[in-house]
Amino acid sequence: MSHLIHIEIDDLDGTLLRVLGLIERRGFFIDAIEMYPIDDKTRGLSVTARAKESHRRFETLYAQIDRLYGLKRVAEPRKAAAAQKLSA
Amino acid sequence: MINQPTGAQLVISTLRALGVDILFGYPGGAIMPIYDALAGSGLTHILVRHEQGASFAADAYARATGKVGVCMATSGPGATNLITGIANAYMDSVPMVCITGQVGTHLLGTDGFQEVDILGLTLPIVKHSWLVRDPAEIPAILSRAFQIAQEGRPGPVLVDIPKDVAAAFVKDVPTTGEFPSWQPPQPDVADIKAAEKLIEQSKKPLFYIGGGVEMAFAVPQLRALMDRTGIPVVSTLKGLGAIPTTDDLFLGMLGMHGTRAANIAVQDADLLIVLGARFDDRATGKLSAFAPHAKVIHVDIDAAEINKLRMAQVGILGDLKMVLDGLHPKMQDISLWVAKCKSDKKKHAFRYDAPGTGIYAPALLKLLSEKAGDKFVACCDVGQHQMWVAQHCQFLQNRAHLTSGGSGAMGYGLPAGVGAKLALPDHHVVTVSGDGSFMMNIQEMATLRRYGIPLKIVLLDNSSLGLVRQWQRLFYEENYSEIDLSDNPDFVTVAQAFGLDAFRITSRDEVDGALDRLLAADKPTLLHILIDPRENVWPLVPPGASNAEMMEERWDEPLDSY
Repeated sequence: MSHLIHIEIDDLDGTLLRVLGLIERRGFFIDAIEMYPIDDKTRGLSVTARAKESHRRFETLYAQIDRLYGLKRVAEPRKAAAAQKLSA
Repeated sequence: MINQPTGAQLVISTLRALGVDILFGYPGGAIMPIYDALAGSGLTHILVRHEQGASFAADAYARATGKVGVCMATSGPGATNLITGIANAYMDSVPMVCITGQVGTHLLGTDGFQEVDILGLTLPIVKHSWLVRDPAEIPAILSRAFQIAQEGRPGPVLVDIPKDVAAAFVKDVPTTGEFPSWQPPQPDVADIKAAEKLIEQSKKPLFYIGGGVEMAFAVPQLRALMDRTGIPVVSTLKGLGAIPTTDDLFLGMLGMHGTRAANIAVQDADLLIVLGARFDDRATGKLSAFAPHAKVIHVDIDAAEINKLRMAQVGILGDLKMVLDGLHPKMQDISLWVAKCKSDKKKHAFRYDAPGTGIYAPALLKLLSEKAGDKFVACCDVGQHQMWVAQHCQFLQNRAHLTSGGSGAMGYGLPAGVGAKLALPDHHVVTVSGDGSFMMNIQEMATLRRYGIPLKIVLLDNSSLGLVRQWQRLFYEENYSEIDLSDNPDFVTVAQAFGLDAFRITSRDEVDGALDRLLAADKPTLLHILIDPRENVWPLVPPGASNAEMMEERWDEPLDSY
């Protein structure tokens, strides 16, 4: 089953690769990615992912994302107005 | 500009402000501004002979002290040579800060000389990392790096500094920055109560402790809880020493090369109280068959570990000290269970009456640790000797068993001995190595000589890659592939060429005197010990098997299964 994960990323070197690499390395396929600006220093990232094997738990993945620095997992996307228009 | 510091000078002044007293490294092109600022700074820098040695030494310094270990290297190959040590620290949750030089910012991404994307290469094996682009940010970034390395579950942090950033003058000297001090999550009172209830209901409870106990500085709290409850304990490789191995309630290490008593207790227990451990496959064997009758209480500072591999009936997120202090269960009578555990421990105690006159390494290591007493610190390499140390050495203190657990990195032992002996100069710090592992960082004997570090080295030489040989014998139909090291150099001569005292023993009657001589040495000394290449590590749980399936071969019995 696919899950949609929303993350806000600080403008730091490597942060995007850090989180996407983690999702793949911990046993999940990434099916879709959407990025959008939120403000000058923050970008939004929405990732659709599904487990490669049935024993891979999203709860564990979320905890592994949460322990990264330079990003924050959020319940709902907080898109800037321009980005909302683009994605619409 | 003369009164304005450079980025490099801010690196050094910030390290001093953070209380760093020693760092391990190796200079090169891109990090030259930092080494220029280092000279005369008062910081003690240990020049190793390979960057991997710097990262392992910093790792061991951190394990021995509980402080942050610091290592430095230049860009490109200097940085990539750190990687094995960074991975080692990540797998074993060791607080470490690694500073690397980088090519100038104008060359980034151009395949410049000695350019490598060390930030990208290390993303999966660091807690966090920075590529510094503004020298004014150096104090804040380094301060935050030290904080991150230590807070919560410790780990390595990388700070990559381009050469021009290090060389640039900073007009307005910044402060180190203010970060809110990290507070560990408060354990949930309801979870503590639920854990107490499970313990009170249990007839066969068992502590399963890992390296997290030591990392959390929770050894006194664990020992107090054991006194309150009388519950037996088994340990992972990294947990050894948190409970004295001489304690009646200590059943030994669990897992692939664990003791029979420990593995039997885990398989029989009705409750596992897991403290700072992570259900590593070397500890659990076949996970679905691990502790089949047990409910689980899992306490950890890292939320990602709870329910990762084994679902816990009660998971407690929080600082181990607080959780252990908070547990006051009213125990039912578990004396029959404790008696069974102690009986198994006695029944399956290791034997040391090996036939013949050759040197029996387990007996030698046991005697070594007993002679060294509570000042014994072992820095292990990886292989059979590592498992023999875990099985047979006496550990009375925590932070005394420094070993590459999760990563299993051959070559750790000698540079780890450098870091540990500098951290604990009054201890009997002994590197226990094998002839395979020792060759991987043999150059660090030059570091011992340069600084006069009186490390003691026990080199167990079976002229082969013993653990690989053992697996090939047992699981690959004796198809011995690339494990012969009979063309090793003369290690005594090599050590003497590096300026060490060195001597060799070949028979059992030499062991006692040799260990006394080694422990009395006040110079770096190597004891070269020839052992039988056919000697193996027992018991052994075959890979993928349940911990109930322990293979063992004794001198008077054929290879059997438990």
